[in-house]
Amino acid sequence: MNPSLFQGRLVRLTAEEPQVSAEAVSQWDRDSEYIRLLDSSPARRWSSKKIQGRIENIQDQPQLDLFIFSIRTKAEDRLIGVTSLYGVKWTHGEGFLGIGLGDRQDWGQGYGTDAVRLILRYAFTELNLGRLSLDVYAYNPRAIRVYEKIGFVPEGRMRKCLNREGIRSDIIFMSILKEEWEQTV
Amino acid sequence: MNATLFVGERVRLAVEEPQVLAENIARWMRDSEFVRLTESDPAIPLTAKGILKWIEKEQEQQPPKVYVFGIRTLDGDRLIGDVGLGGIHWAHGECTLGIGLGDRQDWGQGYGTDALRLILRYAFTELNLERVSLDVYAYNPRAIRAYEKTGFVHEGRMRNCLQREGQRWDMIFMGILKEEWEKSLASTHGVGQG
Repeated sequence: MNPSLFQGRLVRLTAEEPQVSAEAVSQWDRDSEYIRLLDSSPARRWSSKKIQGRIENIQDQPQLDLFIFSIRTKAEDRLIGVTSLYGVKWTHGEGFLGIGLGDRQDWGQGYGTDAVRLILRYAFTELNLGRLSLDVYAYNPRAIRVYEKIGFVPEGRMRKCLNREGIRSDIIFMSILKEEWEQTV
Repeated sequence: MNATLFVGERVRLAVEEPQVLAENIARWMRDSEFVRLTESDPAIPLTAKGILKWIEKEQEQQPPKVYVFGIRTLDGDRLIGDVGLGGIHWAHGECTLGIGLGDRQDWGQGYGTDALRLILRYAFTELNLERVSLDVYAYNPRAIRAYEKTGFVHEGRMRNCLQREGQRWDMIFMGILKEEWEKSLASTHGVGQG
């Protein structure tokens, strides 16, 4: 058995503290680049009160297809991002991965890679899923490199699906099967 | 200008009374094969009343979140299925297409292909979108052929994403861009002119 599913090398996965998380998300959302890397909907702002309400709603009525964690550094216990498994389809053993690191200073430091490794282990050894999927935008090469490093395989691309500043970009789909993940660990 | 966006060679896109559509969908869903071809969630029959509530809720949305039509045969005016565009991202000019033909006797008759041509024209010339996306399950070769015939391009596959009867199947993604659709019209004379 692993000592803890929630402890990585650099980060750990923790529960979302609604007010703390809401304030952090609201802060991160000031950077429209962060929103655009995370979401294809038009970038918009929400009050931290609204965000807090949403987090509390999810925690009050735990959903069977959604698992959310805060990402904190082990060194300083700093809240740096959020990661989730969403759209879990139990009968097919499949789910989607989402991850965001809010502050630019925390990008490219290995935190994301560590957090994705943790959430993969959670998906395959705790939820016992058979595969994990994700989508990522072609204008986010940093994330794509991380996913490739961890063992995700590109499976296809929705061509010219997004329009950002007049340039059309692909949405890329990647996944990792349980047996592929087992070979990497 | 086209005479009408809503009439093809074999079928037309029709507005349905919610009650009529709900009763028909409930009837189609008695065939678990229909449910499995259109949906990856566990097949479960729904009551007409439940479906009606869902349709009415959707129709109340202003502006509409989905554009759904009944598919009716030109010959006999039979309601044989429905087709719609949802998940519209206006900022990116993109949406997802869904279509279902309820009765097995209506499968493989060219109705679906005709309805697809109509809804693509609607997407590109009425909603002025830039691309239409869809997903389809690898165990549905009939649909995949119809999508290929109407100009959709294979863009990827989620490997082993579905489990049916113990066998794992891919989920296939396809898409068509506006410029591809325009080219396909130039080579086939387009809808309703053949």
